[in-house]
Amino acid sequence: MKTERLKYAYIMKYVMLVLTVAFVVLIMMYTSGSNKPFEAVEQAVSSSLDQDGLEKQSGASFKREFGLTEADYAGVMYYASEFSMSAEEVLLVRVHSESQVAEVMEAIEARLEARKNDFEGYMPEAVKLIEDARKSVRGKDIFFAVSPKADEYLNIFAESL
Amino acid sequence: MLFSSITFLFLFLPVVLAVYYLVPGRGKNIFLLIASLFFYAWGEPVYVVLMILSIVLNYFCGRDIWEKKDDPRRAKLSMAFAVTVNVLILGFFKYYGFLIDTINAIFSVDIPYRELALPIGISFYTFQAVSYIVDIYREKAEPQKNILYFALYISMFPQLIAGPIVRYVDVEAQLRHRQLSVRRLGQGSMFFIIGLAKKVIIANTAGAVFEQISQMPAASLSVLTAWVGAFSYAFQIYFDFSGYSDMAIGLGKMFGFEFKKNFDYPYVSKSITEFWRRWHISLSTWFREYVYIPLGGNRCSVSRNIFNLMVVWTLTGMWHGAAWNFIAWGVYYGVILVLEKYVWGEPLDRLPSAVRHIYTVVLVLVGWVFFFSPSLGYALRYLGAMVGAGAGIVDANGAFFLFTHWLLYVVAVLGSSAMGMRLINMVIRMVRNRKAKTAVAAVIYMGIFVISIAFLVTDTFNPFLYFRF
Repeated sequence: MKTERLKYAYIMKYVMLVLTVAFVVLIMMYTSGSNKPFEAVEQAVSSSLDQDGLEKQSGASFKREFGLTEADYAGVMYYASEFSMSAEEVLLVRVHSESQVAEVMEAIEARLEARKNDFEGYMPEAVKLIEDARKSVRGKDIFFAVSPKADEYLNIFAESL
Repeated sequence: MLFSSITFLFLFLPVVLAVYYLVPGRGKNIFLLIASLFFYAWGEPVYVVLMILSIVLNYFCGRDIWEKKDDPRRAKLSMAFAVTVNVLILGFFKYYGFLIDTINAIFSVDIPYRELALPIGISFYTFQAVSYIVDIYREKAEPQKNILYFALYISMFPQLIAGPIVRYVDVEAQLRHRQLSVRRLGQGSMFFIIGLAKKVIIANTAGAVFEQISQMPAASLSVLTAWVGAFSYAFQIYFDFSGYSDMAIGLGKMFGFEFKKNFDYPYVSKSITEFWRRWHISLSTWFREYVYIPLGGNRCSVSRNIFNLMVVWTLTGMWHGAAWNFIAWGVYYGVILVLEKYVWGEPLDRLPSAVRHIYTVVLVLVGWVFFFSPSLGYALRYLGAMVGAGAGIVDANGAFFLFTHWLLYVVAVLGSSAMGMRLINMVIRMVRNRKAKTAVAAVIYMGIFVISIAFLVTDTFNPFLYFRF
């Protein structure tokens, strides 16, 4: 009986070690950021955007729409639709430290809520886009997109890391 | 989830407490475990899996060591395996980016790597797991048979995120049986409220002053501004971290646990040796038990003892973060502790109390400069500003911060010593009648709680400083 228990604990600790390593590999693949320069990630994402509808926005616009200051972050790329009747926008932020992630995510949630209120009742297709918005935090990079191509942009962002 | 958040204070805690008191017998542990996992998953939905894996891994490692206790060599190998795996997991998350950055910088190469967020609390729960493993190997404790109880020991939400680091031997009996009472619930609430006030009233306000000063170039700081900045940070980190520990101890009491104190008014110390007996006591105890003593402690030659001290303090610095400034901070304390032990400890003891206190405060403030600086270069420039190499002796900025926050500093000084609590207790004891005394205490603590909430709702997101360790 004792030998059985010994074997069980002995085997299980190695099983758990293998599972732990597998988990680390998975999170490296799907949740990690990278140490690539922000410009490289920005270039990869911005070149994939539908340039007909989206326009690069200034730091002032980022401040107005998200309530955040561009200078507080390591990098900000913000594209929004040139038409006021469109909900499309794509945001990429690189934070200096992980403690900034929560404030950016809070700002994104607030932005989504505000945009939903803007379009609710008369533009259901825009509300649908907002509800299907894509958000992703990979290390110090935060990605956010409201677009019919949001999934495609998200994939490009993930591959650019 | 932060203890100092509206969600925690008005939703999570009341619900968990109410259900916990209603659940009978052994169900309490299971419920507390579920609540703890939910608490962790709220902020770390991915890394909760890592913590669960670590729990199960250490559970089986503990059992494996115990099964081999009749064969010391195999038991030692099994213990070494478990400790190595824990250290490797912690080291991977905490230092691998730092290691590659260092290689890139030294060899002028550009090795790309995947950045991973540091799982919150990993340094704390890993150290708890190691203490469990080593104590089983030393036969100071038996392995926990019930995996849910062991999971509760590792993941208990009051101390999961930022300690105190609770040794298994200290709570082993409490995991099986603990007393709940209205008195203990009341005591726990008082601890919690004091901790909350320390965090949201003092630490966050001092932190706001420090943040403004730290954003100025070091060369533009006058001596006054630089010292106000250093004092503000010293108050911020003390009230932030000891506030968290008080809240953890208070929550523990509410759930029937007794955790040892983690701070004992460190700023009243009259030597650095004394300071480290009073600051982050659970971490110092851990390093003493599991690193310093196994290395030989002080029962060895002077040179070996100096080596042991330097190893422990370098590791203490590294534990705080993957950056050179933390390593410098650890080495700085190692050197001072060696000097106090072998060079000026005895002469220091003969100096007047006030001089020893000033000596300690100055050295601690210099230490905090290394600690808060983003780089060693900045630390040296900031230290330069403290001795006049910045922008003169006094300027309008320093005077402004001092005069607009004088009340904060008075409260912080009182709260850094036993005087603050003595004042509160003095007011309560002014009433002779026992019931009236309870009523006065309730009014005072409710008042502190209401003021803390007022600060909380007007504050921005302010996580605890020790979350990042």
